[in-house]
Amino acid sequence: MRRVILNLHLFTALLTAAFIMIQGITGSILAFEPELDRAFHAHLTYVRPESQSLPLSKLGESVSQQLGGERVVAYAPSTSSNISFEVLLPSGVAYVNQHTGELLGVRARGQTFLGYVKALHVRLGDGAIGKNILRWSAVAALVSVISGLYLWWPMRRISIRAKGDFRRFSFDLHNVVGIYSVVPLTLLAASGIILGFEDQAAFLIYHLTQSNPTQVVSRLPYVAATAKPFIDVDAAVTIARSLMPGTVPYRVQMPQYGGLYQVALLDPKDRITGSRNIVALNPVDGTVVSISRAADLSRGDWILAANEAVHTGDVLGLPSRIVAGLTSIFVVIQALSGAFIWFFRSRTRPVVRAAS
Amino acid sequence: MRKAFLGVLITVLFTLNLEAANTTGRWSGQFRVEGGDHDIPQLILIKQEGNKITGSGGPNESEQYPIEKGSIDGDHVQFELTTGNWKFVYDLKIDDTKMMGKITLNSLNESRSAKVSLTKVQ
Repeated sequence: MRRVILNLHLFTALLTAAFIMIQGITGSILAFEPELDRAFHAHLTYVRPESQSLPLSKLGESVSQQLGGERVVAYAPSTSSNISFEVLLPSGVAYVNQHTGELLGVRARGQTFLGYVKALHVRLGDGAIGKNILRWSAVAALVSVISGLYLWWPMRRISIRAKGDFRRFSFDLHNVVGIYSVVPLTLLAASGIILGFEDQAAFLIYHLTQSNPTQVVSRLPYVAATAKPFIDVDAAVTIARSLMPGTVPYRVQMPQYGGLYQVALLDPKDRITGSRNIVALNPVDGTVVSISRAADLSRGDWILAANEAVHTGDVLGLPSRIVAGLTSIFVVIQALSGAFIWFFRSRTRPVVRAAS
Repeated sequence: MRKAFLGVLITVLFTLNLEAANTTGRWSGQFRVEGGDHDIPQLILIKQEGNKITGSGGPNESEQYPIEKGSIDGDHVQFELTTGNWKFVYDLKIDDTKMMGKITLNSLNESRSAKVSLTKVQ
């Protein structure tokens, strides 16, 4: 039995090690995607914190005037006073100091380093083949973790010996990193499988929980850009927030782009579904068209959201993202140390045999 | 005389061929992002004046975004939609009641492409 498990552990790892390493490296970067994105654009992102912010309508008007009268598609107010507000335009995203109204700059849409990293992590760059390889690699990773635990159990090695050759060091490292990261590795692999086979997993989850996908917000017919009078964007946010106390706006879609105001609100206390609060308003008179509350999500949707939060590390905020990032690095260490063990074993075995 | 008539005929036919097709109307179809598993529905409502295209587009009638930078040159149709984070740049060829081509989708960090197919429904 042990030999069968050992071979299973070995062959699944050998077949998929390269892809698992790619997922590990890219995953460790994506765990800190928001922080990295801000760091890469620090001059657009960080502002001196102040207690008061200017109204969105004033910020939008100011940006629009400075950029040749471009219309505002949406606002993305930050939830932190030292992070600038984003004003989404057809030509790009304008960053504006919400306290002073200063336009910090405009970022054009398009592929960046982080975009390539994400594409590698999700679909090996591009295409259905890459996506299939990666989702089956996630299955192989889970098999490796479970079989690895079985193989670890008899010796229960929990430390690296100071003395010994490189193979010995690799063996100890593989055991120690494996056992200390077994829980987050299992969670990352399992949640990755659910994300990779999302359609099949969603079908199963809705079936098991006897629930359905939560209905999306209803909409009004398209409102032409010239239709007036519109209620002010700040009035729309005020109405939306009054319906969901304790939330903060993180996105406001303008009615010219989508038909009505859609105010997305964040509940900072709910890290799993806290961003799934949306109030849709009639732009002409401010009447509420629909309210989507995170609390009203179906059980199936909540499980799918929780799975995503576990995989990205958002589930407990920064601490769990650090764990997710470190675990992704451990994946790379496991793949490399496992490869060293296998490589040196296959090279030293004939010598050992000859000596004996 | 025969040569002159032939010349006029060729000129007329050539001019007709160069004349921009009429895109005004409702166009229904779908696109699929390269590497994607799903078709995304499309409903584009186009109004053409000369070589300029206006109107709106989106996944259905109630979710529409304004067409920007719309133009037609011969059988080559181009326009843009911005939905928020994503900008969709359409590059299509029209053949009577069919339009086919590619969409380039750009967000702040990502750029992807999709194949799109539209049929005139009205």
